[in-house]
Amino acid sequence: MNDDSIENTPRENSPDQDVICDIQNVCTEFGDNIVHHNLNLKVKRGDILALVGRSGCGKTTLLRHIIGLTKPQSGKVLLFGQNLHAMERVAQRRLMNRFGVLFQQGALFSALSVYDNIAFPLRELKQLDESTIYQLVMHKLALVELEPRNADLLPAELSGGMVKRVGLARALALEPELLVLDEPTAGLDPDRSHNFIDLVKQLKKSLGLTVLFVTHDMDTLASLAERVAVLEEKHIIADCSLQELAGIDHPFVINFFQSIRSRLERL
Amino acid sequence: MAAASFRVAQDNQGRHHVQLFGQWSLRVPSNDFAKLKKLLQPFFIDISTRWDLNEIEQLDAAGASTLLSGWGNKLDSNISLRPEHAVLFNTLINLERPPAKKTGRNWLAPLNGLGKGVLHIMHHFTEFIHLFGSLLIEIAYLIRRPQDFPWREFSANIYKSGVNALPVTALLGFMIGVVMGYLMSKQLHTFGADIYIVNILGLSIIRELGPVLMAVLVAGRSGSAMTAQIGVMRVTDEIDALTTMGISRILRVVLPKVLGLTFVAPLLVLWTSSWTLAGGAFASNLELGISFRFFFDYLPLVVQPVNLTLSLIKGLMFGFVVALVACHFGLRIKPNTESLSNSTTSSVVTAISGVILVNAWFAILTRGIGV
Repeated sequence: MNDDSIENTPRENSPDQDVICDIQNVCTEFGDNIVHHNLNLKVKRGDILALVGRSGCGKTTLLRHIIGLTKPQSGKVLLFGQNLHAMERVAQRRLMNRFGVLFQQGALFSALSVYDNIAFPLRELKQLDESTIYQLVMHKLALVELEPRNADLLPAELSGGMVKRVGLARALALEPELLVLDEPTAGLDPDRSHNFIDLVKQLKKSLGLTVLFVTHDMDTLASLAERVAVLEEKHIIADCSLQELAGIDHPFVINFFQSIRSRLERL
Repeated sequence: MAAASFRVAQDNQGRHHVQLFGQWSLRVPSNDFAKLKKLLQPFFIDISTRWDLNEIEQLDAAGASTLLSGWGNKLDSNISLRPEHAVLFNTLINLERPPAKKTGRNWLAPLNGLGKGVLHIMHHFTEFIHLFGSLLIEIAYLIRRPQDFPWREFSANIYKSGVNALPVTALLGFMIGVVMGYLMSKQLHTFGADIYIVNILGLSIIRELGPVLMAVLVAGRSGSAMTAQIGVMRVTDEIDALTTMGISRILRVVLPKVLGLTFVAPLLVLWTSSWTLAGGAFASNLELGISFRFFFDYLPLVVQPVNLTLSLIKGLMFGFVVALVACHFGLRIKPNTESLSNSTTSSVVTAISGVILVNAWFAILTRGIGV
């Protein structure tokens, strides 16, 4: 499976450039509650990396550090080799265009139609004219398998699955290299979540994306992830493929692996 | 990463050959498609230009779409490209085109707009009457089952829209009183009619200014808060959750707000009027040397006490109008941010207009009393 990534990145980059996200010695604390202590993690180009752990162990916090919403107390988060928090504004904005985020609830702009939601980041570039934007929005809608007639709907009129698809289309609007998904299948029925995972996998292949996601859903994990990073006791205690988890001797990982083994066997 | 670029050559027949290089993709931060399109414009117009896309490192939908719009949204034989890029171009070409814009002017549009506006106001009006009716039904229900009265919410609303409003109404009332007292003292002094300051300030503040000032402040402060609160409760489905528990939303959400504000508004009127009068007395003391003792001893002699009753009745009505309008707009909010902000604005504007309308009507009704 990992071979896809090599096909999609035919450029001869230095090894450093193949690390899309590099988290170095990150410490986070909320008051007395230490969430991360000297945490290290690397996301390589072409990975589909799942971040797992108990509820409240700081997965979403780590995700927010990565996309630059919050800043760790100490340590560095390097995206594409650069630190988002130590950059000049224009460069920072350009760097932020290189990743797309799908929030758990979709985070669509509720006052804008589906069309305007997807067109929003494209218009903000101020490079493209309206007819080009129209074509690109229709292209993104087709990518996430939505009909052009859905373009005029408002977010409140969409079903849960459609909200996720529109959110994904908006995240993909600027052709990002890294796609960050927070609970991509939360709130979807099994059938839809299965479709959504297939969609993400297919897009990952066709657009050459790197995918980083957080999930609680074992089915999503087993069918989408190629690598897992287990966040436990303020550290990443495992960073390997799903099968390799079997060899790790840690109570949480053992428990965890048992619950996904049956699913892996089914695949 | 190589930014998008191109090279132009001319052959012996005078035809241009444009060769594209680099990554024609939004991923390269330094790419500027608007600039590229402008530079390529002369070659887009010249239909004999030959295009060579074989050297492109990477092409994404944005790059392809920019080129396509220059080529008139079609591929022709002058364009040579790699098969994988042809797939992307063909996908883009086959997408739905934007609907043709309607040309010509619709002369009936203003009339349509007017009609829609009238219907919209009618709709508001019927819904408002409906809300008022539901409120009366709930009150009738409460008379039969007084134990269901939402005391806790009622008292919370009195605290939020009454007690918390005390400092701001006092401060603004006092300041307006000082300004009015100062200006009137100046005028009256030129006529040597110093003593009438008590009549003018007393009557205008107690009868008109106090209640209206209170209503405007409360509409801005508590009315907007009520609309926004009910609106967010709708957006987050809390109203539906209440209904499924068998609790009437009117009884639990609207009634305590309306009754709470109706109850507390006359008290706020009393409080605001007192501070405004105090401000007026302060200014007359400074300007005309009228002592506080004299001011407040003389006040009941020149302003009939019935004016105080009128002002309390006004407070009752204004509180009711502000709260009911706020709830009406809150319940109409649709689950998006635009609707929330529009409704909150409309709520405050309508409440203040309603208060002034009611005030005018009441002034006509009571024109023979107390003056």
